[in-house]
Amino acid sequence: MSLFKWARTKSPWIIHFNTGGCNGCDIELVAALTPRFDLERFGILLEGSPRHSDMLAVTGPVTLQVKDRLVRIYEQMPEPKHVIAIGTCAISGAPFQECYNVHGGIDTVLLVDAYVPGCPPKPEAIIDGIAKLIQKIKEGEGHGKRK
Amino acid sequence: MSYGSTIKVPLGPQHPALKEPGNFLFEVDGETVVDVKPRIGYNHRGVEKAFELRTYIQNIYLAERICGICSDAHTTCYTQAIEELLGVEAPPRARYIRVIIAELERIQSHALWVGIAAHEIGFDTLFMYVWRDRETVLDLFEMISGNRIHYAMNTIGGVRRDIHAAMVPKIKKGLDFLEKRLKYYLDVVQTEQTILKRAAGVGVLKPKDAVDLCALGPTLRASGINNDVRADDPYAAYDEVPFNVITHDGCDVSSRMLVRCEEMLESIKAIGYALDHMPEGVIRVRVPMKVPKGEVVSRVEAPRGELIHYAKSNGTTKPERYKVRSPTLGNIPALCKMLLGGYVADIPIVLAGIDPCFSCMDRMAFVDVKKNKGWNWTMQQLRRKYAKK
Amino acid sequence: MEKENEIVKKLKNFLKENLVRTTVPKERRIFVYIKKDALKDAVKYLVKDLEFKHLSTITGVDLGGKIEVIYHMAYKGSIVLSIRLTVSEKNPSVPTITDLIPGAVLYEREVHDLFGVNFEGHPDLSPLVLPEGWPQGVYPLRKEHKLEHLREMTSKK
Repeated sequence: MSLFKWARTKSPWIIHFNTGGCNGCDIELVAALTPRFDLERFGILLEGSPRHSDMLAVTGPVTLQVKDRLVRIYEQMPEPKHVIAIGTCAISGAPFQECYNVHGGIDTVLLVDAYVPGCPPKPEAIIDGIAKLIQKIKEGEGHGKRK
Repeated sequence: MSYGSTIKVPLGPQHPALKEPGNFLFEVDGETVVDVKPRIGYNHRGVEKAFELRTYIQNIYLAERICGICSDAHTTCYTQAIEELLGVEAPPRARYIRVIIAELERIQSHALWVGIAAHEIGFDTLFMYVWRDRETVLDLFEMISGNRIHYAMNTIGGVRRDIHAAMVPKIKKGLDFLEKRLKYYLDVVQTEQTILKRAAGVGVLKPKDAVDLCALGPTLRASGINNDVRADDPYAAYDEVPFNVITHDGCDVSSRMLVRCEEMLESIKAIGYALDHMPEGVIRVRVPMKVPKGEVVSRVEAPRGELIHYAKSNGTTKPERYKVRSPTLGNIPALCKMLLGGYVADIPIVLAGIDPCFSCMDRMAFVDVKKNKGWNWTMQQLRRKYAKK
Repeated sequence: MEKENEIVKKLKNFLKENLVRTTVPKERRIFVYIKKDALKDAVKYLVKDLEFKHLSTITGVDLGGKIEVIYHMAYKGSIVLSIRLTVSEKNPSVPTITDLIPGAVLYEREVHDLFGVNFEGHPDLSPLVLPEGWPQGVYPLRKEHKLEHLREMTSKK
């Protein structure tokens, strides 16, 4: 395994973005940082700036107002980058599919590498999703490229 | 002076804030906030229109997901509204269960808030402690309903799941643990210098302004106004379960912290009473699919304040019109008033003080009126710039 | 129901023929239907004389050809009086109440966004909830706009 791949998979830095969801998934993602689940023991850091992040964790159905900003954040991330869609809204938009201001799931806008279903998914499920994505990256899969 | 209106500021042809709109546009003069313009809409999904396309039962699950932190408040308000339209009443046992779940949710929401407020101040240790203890409430929710968030306990005509006798000792044990921890946090909030320096005297909202601007919930009660829907317009079993309405006269962010901490302790007492006095009986009544013509106004005291729903039915299985006004929207004019004349460094804690849904409040645009420049900041960048070392 | 009936009586005496209809469906709920021109006087009377100082929200309803605007006001947090009027869909215009109740400022903006009601005298009716680039003159909560129709419009932009 190359040095870069080792470094990247050892400690991915994640930027979190909510595209108009109810916050349920966001609070479970933040709960994953707290002592009971402790995301940081995997070397995972929740970072604030897209320019320093390897992974984009998106929650919520994409509202029309937020779509451009989502794409801009993705573009600001350095290559290679990966996207995790957390929660049912991020996967398909449900239950907001029939809402006029909702675009749909994240994969209507970006290429998604991992989906974590649930409404909201428990912190253990989120950690599992991130771990599976790390595994995918180690094995050389995962899109890592712009749509 | 304006509450969310436009002030003309002489700027060049390229207004920087227009390219990347934020939820708030702050006009600043050096370090002082001169004007605030709210421009929400990132979370606007079009839910009210979707309500009209779905049946009344389907809408319970949509109402629940308007907000993940106070989902039970929305379903309680919704099911109450539809029950009134149908002319049915939830059975007594169901009304007690609704109180228990609503109060557990209040504890969960306020604890979440204390953690977030601590994080805004830079006090991450407190954030971690509170969120670890908050897990106790989420465990109780999981035991009672099967889920930590979006517990789906309410249905039209009552509740879907019972709180069995075997659960009661576990709930009481959890509450005892929480009571000890919350008393400790109440003490920390009142005595810890880090918090007092950042929260005392900041974000002041005088009582007259609180009333004129129609503020809600803990924001209103921290300015000394004794208004709480549970006491003024009782619903579920609040006319039978005793509790105190907490008010404080400080009118600042630290008063809001005190109100929320003490409310959590009141909630524990209320849940204990409800568990001890829960009547026997069924937990739901059957209701028809079609709702006769009518209209109703339903109100509930969500953790953030008064939640109001207006429902209009037309004799079919789907609503004619369903209006939801969440408490955060109601507090924004008061928020703008609190921020005016204050320091830029205080923006995060004052914003947090009204307990907003965080996705609404993340990004801010700034315009310096004297220097003629504009820029955008996220909350994290703002916090980092002004964090006291 | 004593207090509720007392309030209704006082309103009837004050508004006279401008008060079209009232109902008191249950305790702490009053519904009042007034003529549009009496709005400001009614709200002023409610706020100053009857102590209905809290405005919970403003609801818009599309009645087909007409738009109904309902102001939900509360007396000491407890009795909710919903005062309503209708305006024609072609020219929906209502005077603002932000000079009487400053807290109404965002509620009026929301009804303007979603129904197109113009609140005369409002300091700033710029969009509150609809996204940038939303087509002008399309008021999503009006019944004439079906979901597919709205989606088509927004996907074109």
